[in-house]
Amino acid sequence: MATALTTNWLHVDIGDETPQLLSTLSSCMTLSDVQCDGYVRLLAADISLEDEEEQPSAKLKVFRGLKLKQEQPLPGIPTAIESLYIDETEPKTPVVAVAIAESVLFYRHLKPYFKYTVPALDAEELELEVWRKLPVMKSDTHDALLQLLKDVDHAKLSRKTQRLLQLSGDERDSFISTHKDSPVGRVGNIVAMCCLKRVSSSPNPPSHLVLATDTGRVFVLEPQGFNLVYQARTCSYETAVPSLISVHGTYETDFCIVLGTRNGGVYLLRKANNEGQEILKLTTALTGLLLLPVDQTIVVTSMEPRYLCYSKRGKLLFQLQLEAQPVCILPLMLAHLGITLVAVALQGGVVKFFLQRFLVDELVLPETVAAMLYGRMGMEDHVLTLTTQSGEIFIKILRRVTRFEADVVAAAASANKTITNSQRIAEASSILDKPKKSSIFVEQAAREKQKAKASYGSFQVELWRLRHTAARATIDAINSSESTISGDLTHAPVKLSAEVCGSGPAFRLYLTVQNLSTFKMASNLIVLLHADRRHYTMSQTLARLPSVLPGIPLRVDFEVVAVLDALDKLPPASLTPDNSQIRVMLLKTGQSKPLIAAAVAMPQSEAAF
Amino acid sequence: MGMLNNLADLIKVKKDKMTILVLGLNNSGKSTILNHFKKPNEQSAIMVPTVGFLVEQFYTMGVSIKAMDMSGATRYRNLWEHQFKNCQGIIYVIDSSDRMRFGKKSIECNCVVVTSFTLGLPVVVKDELDLVLQHPDLCNRTVPILFYGNKSDLEDSLSNVKIAAALGLDNIKDKPWHICSSNAISGEGLDEGVQWLVQQIRFAVLSHRKGSKSKHSSKINK
Repeated sequence: MATALTTNWLHVDIGDETPQLLSTLSSCMTLSDVQCDGYVRLLAADISLEDEEEQPSAKLKVFRGLKLKQEQPLPGIPTAIESLYIDETEPKTPVVAVAIAESVLFYRHLKPYFKYTVPALDAEELELEVWRKLPVMKSDTHDALLQLLKDVDHAKLSRKTQRLLQLSGDERDSFISTHKDSPVGRVGNIVAMCCLKRVSSSPNPPSHLVLATDTGRVFVLEPQGFNLVYQARTCSYETAVPSLISVHGTYETDFCIVLGTRNGGVYLLRKANNEGQEILKLTTALTGLLLLPVDQTIVVTSMEPRYLCYSKRGKLLFQLQLEAQPVCILPLMLAHLGITLVAVALQGGVVKFFLQRFLVDELVLPETVAAMLYGRMGMEDHVLTLTTQSGEIFIKILRRVTRFEADVVAAAASANKTITNSQRIAEASSILDKPKKSSIFVEQAAREKQKAKASYGSFQVELWRLRHTAARATIDAINSSESTISGDLTHAPVKLSAEVCGSGPAFRLYLTVQNLSTFKMASNLIVLLHADRRHYTMSQTLARLPSVLPGIPLRVDFEVVAVLDALDKLPPASLTPDNSQIRVMLLKTGQSKPLIAAAVAMPQSEAAF
Repeated sequence: MGMLNNLADLIKVKKDKMTILVLGLNNSGKSTILNHFKKPNEQSAIMVPTVGFLVEQFYTMGVSIKAMDMSGATRYRNLWEHQFKNCQGIIYVIDSSDRMRFGKKSIECNCVVVTSFTLGLPVVVKDELDLVLQHPDLCNRTVPILFYGNKSDLEDSLSNVKIAAALGLDNIKDKPWHICSSNAISGEGLDEGVQWLVQQIRFAVLSHRKGSKSKHSSKINK
């Protein structure tokens, strides 16, 4: 009970008044101000498939608040119901569009007022030929003719022919005689429908209808004159049968239609082209598809069970492992918060709310949710209607003070807590987090774009100034400790002497380090040699010295090779007696300033023979 | 008339002025209720949803009341809390026929059921009321709250006893409250409620003055 108070959703108790049962799908539910009185009602198709009657039937039900106010039978099983405004005349009257089989029925004030049927495709030449012959030829030749048709792909035949092929011999003749004059054409059933706003995103703008048929065709229907204003195909081959649809944009400017097919493909259609472009293909079936309006990403739930997010180019942005099979998916546009949540209903009754990749809320219902709907209902703006598989309706209202924030830390913690093998795979394959661009970064980038030359110049000036300062500091440090005896009083005094043996080009440089103290040990010493690379090469320039005990001198030797020109076997011209020297530095670890810095003058090298 | 009023103002040295806040969900009838209190020539015939808030001024029972008519739409409800500081009384209007945002368990007026309902099943009316009562600007003040169970003429409206039980008004201990059913269109029950509210505010002002006076005198004694 205490947790119920902290929840983000207020539960509206329908109670035992009259338990309303409603078996429906998300696409067959809509919210509409059908009576034009400002009270938004819930419209849903109640589909009864397991009735005692042989024919499955459907009813259009209208709920005012929690009460069933009206119901009327539908002439078939609907695939989708949409409420839309067709013009801008006042008072604005919504029109309810119900897609049944190959036609869309339009209702105004809940009275039927128009029926639109999608155009038929031209039939195959062979099929037309067969239908021309069938009525005039004798019955015994029919078998041969029908055999021809059986070779054709079943999906490419008209419904009339499909039915004929199923009939037995004696039923055929009567069927042929009754149907011989009807046109032979292939009509696609509407499998998905949604609204596309015509111009702006102002409240209740006039809309067009987007229809997708099982022949793979997509139409945009203008519901005033009932003309098709846009026609396209899902993709170049016929087998891609769309089942899910999501639309974004406005018809007049630009729009995008994303279609999910039955075999796991996702296709993107734009206004400019009329053939879909495959953007991704999953091996498992899709259960939900959304094109999110804000960041233009495509969210998909699959039977794997995964929750995946793709860019419009088909790049996987992230994926999440779900605990159970996703049943339906719903976008929740929270305009007052400026975010869009995605609700995913899972098998078993859990409904999860995602903000991008983060789980921000969760509802648990006693049963699997079959359909969800969100929007303004009645007088309240943020109402979520959930229908379970047994037909129970749950209504949840979003609390006004609710804020959804992507809690990255909590998400990571929960991910760690319930880490499973498959989850680890999902995480490994997801993309790394990229920090967001700060405003300073964006401003600087813009400034650099504008004044590229000047900013490059000033950067170079600053770089050289830095190098100059560094070089000056180095010289100062070396010069200040230029002696053969270390002057640092805090450590044991050390003396360095050098001796060069050999006549060239290979020399041997002997260094003697002597501890002048009587009781202190000189430890952690490093000898560093530095010479002009063009004049001398050294295989080893650095030596870590062992601890130098008082009185016992330490001798180290280095190999130095003078660089000679390969052709004339002479030292390079830049080598003069003044700069023919090697700098020796005695360093103590942890100190930036050398203890001793000395220059060893090198004798002139003899030519190598 | 204007002169007379001015004269009356001059004679009455201290005139009672009260600021009240009118809250409630959208479509509950706040503006319609205030419309009833206005002079006949100022009343408007058509009510439209309030945007933001409106300030209405009217005279009743010898007091000048400044009423803040707050919009009840979801996106304007966050404006309510800004008015809490300078209000002396609150009118909370409830649409007693709006079952969806109100919850229905209140039908059974069984105490046990009601408490479980009020704990576990807050709906929008209750939720918004709780937000108002828990606001820091109000929770430590004794601001009288008047509830109107509006639209009592509708057939499926709830009685004020049931509303009080459903909202758990018994739990409001630190503030005086009163509920009356009303019909804003005919004006039924409205005057009774405002009468109570004005009395309460007067009482609160008086007791406040007394309190400050006694404090004052005690200081002098010291």
